[in-house]
Amino acid sequence: MEPANTLREDGECKGGILAHLERLETQMNRSHKRFEGPQRTQAEESTLGTRIHKLRLLRDKLRAEVKQRQAEIEASAASTEPDQTLETSEQEVLETKLENLKALLQAYHFTGLSGKLTSRGVSVCIHTAFDGNLLDSYIVDLVIEKPLWIHHHSVPVFIPLEEIAAKYLQTDVQHFLFSLCEHLNGYAGRKYQADRLQSDFAAFLAGPLQRNSLCNVLSFTYKVELGGQSFLFCARLLYKDLTVTLPTDVTVTHRGTDALSTSWEEQRVSHENLFRTTSLHKAFTSFAGGEKLNMSLPPCYFH
Amino acid sequence: MDETVAEFIKRLFLKIPMTEMMTILKAWDFLSESQLQTVNFRQRKEPLVQELVLLCEEKCASLNDAALLDIIYTQVHRHQKLWDVFKMNKGPVLTGEDIDLFDIEQFKSSFTKILRKALKNVTVSFRDAEENAVWIRIAWGTHHTKPNQYKATYVVYYPQTPYVFMSLSRLKRNTPLLDQALMIASKHHQIVKMDLRSRYLDSLKAIVFKQYNQVFETHDSAAPLQETSLWLHTNMDLRVIHENKVEKERVQRVTQETFGDCPQPRLEFAQYKLETKFKSNLNGGILADREEPLRCLIKFSSPHLLEALKSLAPAGIADAPLSPLLTCIPNKGMNYFKIKDK
Repeated sequence: MEPANTLREDGECKGGILAHLERLETQMNRSHKRFEGPQRTQAEESTLGTRIHKLRLLRDKLRAEVKQRQAEIEASAASTEPDQTLETSEQEVLETKLENLKALLQAYHFTGLSGKLTSRGVSVCIHTAFDGNLLDSYIVDLVIEKPLWIHHHSVPVFIPLEEIAAKYLQTDVQHFLFSLCEHLNGYAGRKYQADRLQSDFAAFLAGPLQRNSLCNVLSFTYKVELGGQSFLFCARLLYKDLTVTLPTDVTVTHRGTDALSTSWEEQRVSHENLFRTTSLHKAFTSFAGGEKLNMSLPPCYFH
Repeated sequence: MDETVAEFIKRLFLKIPMTEMMTILKAWDFLSESQLQTVNFRQRKEPLVQELVLLCEEKCASLNDAALLDIIYTQVHRHQKLWDVFKMNKGPVLTGEDIDLFDIEQFKSSFTKILRKALKNVTVSFRDAEENAVWIRIAWGTHHTKPNQYKATYVVYYPQTPYVFMSLSRLKRNTPLLDQALMIASKHHQIVKMDLRSRYLDSLKAIVFKQYNQVFETHDSAAPLQETSLWLHTNMDLRVIHENKVEKERVQRVTQETFGDCPQPRLEFAQYKLETKFKSNLNGGILADREEPLRCLIKFSSPHLLEALKSLAPAGIADAPLSPLLTCIPNKGMNYFKIKDK
């Protein structure tokens, strides 16, 4: 294009012509473009249109798939609903079972038995009671192994724990615990009566109360007054069953050489019956003129 | 007062340490309060003892009173004697007759009668003790000699239990008679010596009656059990790392399961008589091929054997769990074992 530049100095005609031609060329190019534009946009439009169409198709297809999946889920959800109701009912059953067991344990607690898990087994606590009074508690530690064995305990040495364990521990633990419970309650009841007699009614006793470890042999001498006369009676109470708190054998004898008059003999027999049917301290309360015990009442047994 | 009785009482007083004199005299309850008040307890022992003996003479102390004083002294110093444990059996039990209607007075009179029948000269004394135990003191003589008061046998019996504790009698020839008297008076048919022996009577009682002085896991308190091991906690210095922490914790747990948390009953020794074939890893050797069992006696001694055994594994000296031959001592109630090949 240098000649165009060099010719400008000569005259505008030469520069002018080439420049004019150039201008015409560029004009032509531009108009070509203008002419091509709509064609091109049209082509573009059509491609875009097909693309849109494809996308729409794809969208519809996906929408259909989504719907189908949702329908499937809903269908399966509908079928799992009955399972959920089953789970809740099972849970309810278990909960009621648990409540029953807790209530049972609490009920056992009222009978005096309570238990606690230990690292090796179970620690059972036996609470004893007599005549509405809560007495001592004793603990037995069991190791749960084959065979079941007693690790240690706080049961008094003269309670036949070894014998009871030999009979029941391996075959029927419940029976073992109940038997032990009976023995301990029997002992606690007898001991309570003997202690009460010694402490509250010492004035009646002429001489010490003789007792043994299990409190199942009690002998004492006591004063009885009737119509100005006073006599000494010797009572010997045997409890041949270790689980009872009322004696199995009672003998009341008169301390003295002369034979008893009939009224005194009646007294002696009535005292024998009294000791056989009432607890010791209650019998002595009646001697002290406290409650008048009605002998026609059926005997009551305290456990 | 007999001279021998006076001499006996004097020797008893001389044995009693000064610190215990007042308590023992009060327990004896033979000299009255007013008499004791006249005595100067601050003087030296010999003149004090002479004064006391004079007071006893004034009150005409008998041999039985002296024997009672001897029992009290022995009760306070029970660990000075070595105690054996015996178990009595009732034999075949007839139904309806198995309940023990024990009467202490009957027992005492029956026991004394049996001994007196066999040996004319014997001193028998009784003293009740804690937990319904009855202490029996027997001084033995023969048909011709008076009882030797200085070598008395002591028996501790827990009525309505099968167990009896006896101090080893040096006069062994009287043992069968004593056994018989005990059995008949307590209405048992058989008496068996257990393989259990110690100075500590209270520990023997705890083992045999399975009662340990302990804090039971009480049902009311929610307090956690005391930490008995200090091995893992002595060094709180963070620069110190405990190697084998897991192993140490396992050892602690196993030890606690075997021995419990409570203080162990006190024994001084455990003796194992082995009659087993010699087992050796080495091939050959003099003892290896013997057919006959090797006889040897192993004795473990300690001021407190069970506590020592309990601390073996935590100290790293032995593996946990320990051999059951060692750990079964309180549960089986034995510290003398005879082991043979099965």
